[in-house]
Amino acid sequence: MISINHYLALATVMFLCGTLGVLFRRNLLLVLMSVELMLNAVNLVFVAGSRLVNNLDGQIMVFFIVTVAACEAGVGLAMVIALYRRYGTVETSFLRMLRG
Amino acid sequence: MSQELMFYATAFLITVCSVMVVTNRNPVVSAIYLVGDLFLLAAVFASLDAHFVAAIQVLVYAGAIVVLFMFVIMLLNLGPEGKAHLRIPAPELAVLVLTIIGFTTIGTLLLTGQAPGVGGEWSPEAIQTNGGNTFTIAMVLFTKFIWPFEISSILILLAVIAAIVIAKKDKKQVVHD
Repeated sequence: MISINHYLALATVMFLCGTLGVLFRRNLLLVLMSVELMLNAVNLVFVAGSRLVNNLDGQIMVFFIVTVAACEAGVGLAMVIALYRRYGTVETSFLRMLRG
Repeated sequence: MSQELMFYATAFLITVCSVMVVTNRNPVVSAIYLVGDLFLLAAVFASLDAHFVAAIQVLVYAGAIVVLFMFVIMLLNLGPEGKAHLRIPAPELAVLVLTIIGFTTIGTLLLTGQAPGVGGEWSPEAIQTNGGNTFTIAMVLFTKFIWPFEISSILILLAVIAAIVIAKKDKKQVVHD
């Protein structure tokens, strides 16, 4: 039996990769992919925890996370297409309308 | 022993794929590595006795979401990014440092604390006698979690409408251009 700490370490690595992508990549599509990576790291923690305490609620929670991820990908990619039509690029540095 | 070996090999490959998703210049290659990442994660889920979650991971994530990403990459005809030097703005760096501090705190607490509630209702043997992973998950999902389930269907409906409205061609915009 593998200790849960190893699963948590793997999830941490995945989540930090996703964080780095969200913060430092300038391609909007890559930012969305990094968000998917972070959500998957959370899924891993939920499933590992569910196995540890013998409770299925963690696996149910993964379904809701997958639902939210699918919605987020659909709306996010629609926004990417709308922004590409308007600016002709998907670089995040063009999106400074809300910057203070 | 072989289970440990498989886990560490999968974990190593997941780490490699995650790093490649973030660091690669070409969005298509990043999407391919994302598929690999999700498949390997499905393998980890299966090794954790979460078979239905593993199947959903492959079907929904690798089958639907990444294909959606691929479609948009093809639609926008995105090539590899140019070689711009990496600039690291201060606010982003602050967020990164805070994230690492948060993870360190959580990790320390987890390593020093006790795992709560060990010995719950659904051990793998209990799930097996109850009729398998999928059956048991359905039983829990449609009794205890029925309202979150219904609300998530409303969320999907909203997302569909939002995606259509956002991606629709704005007629005034086209005339203006």
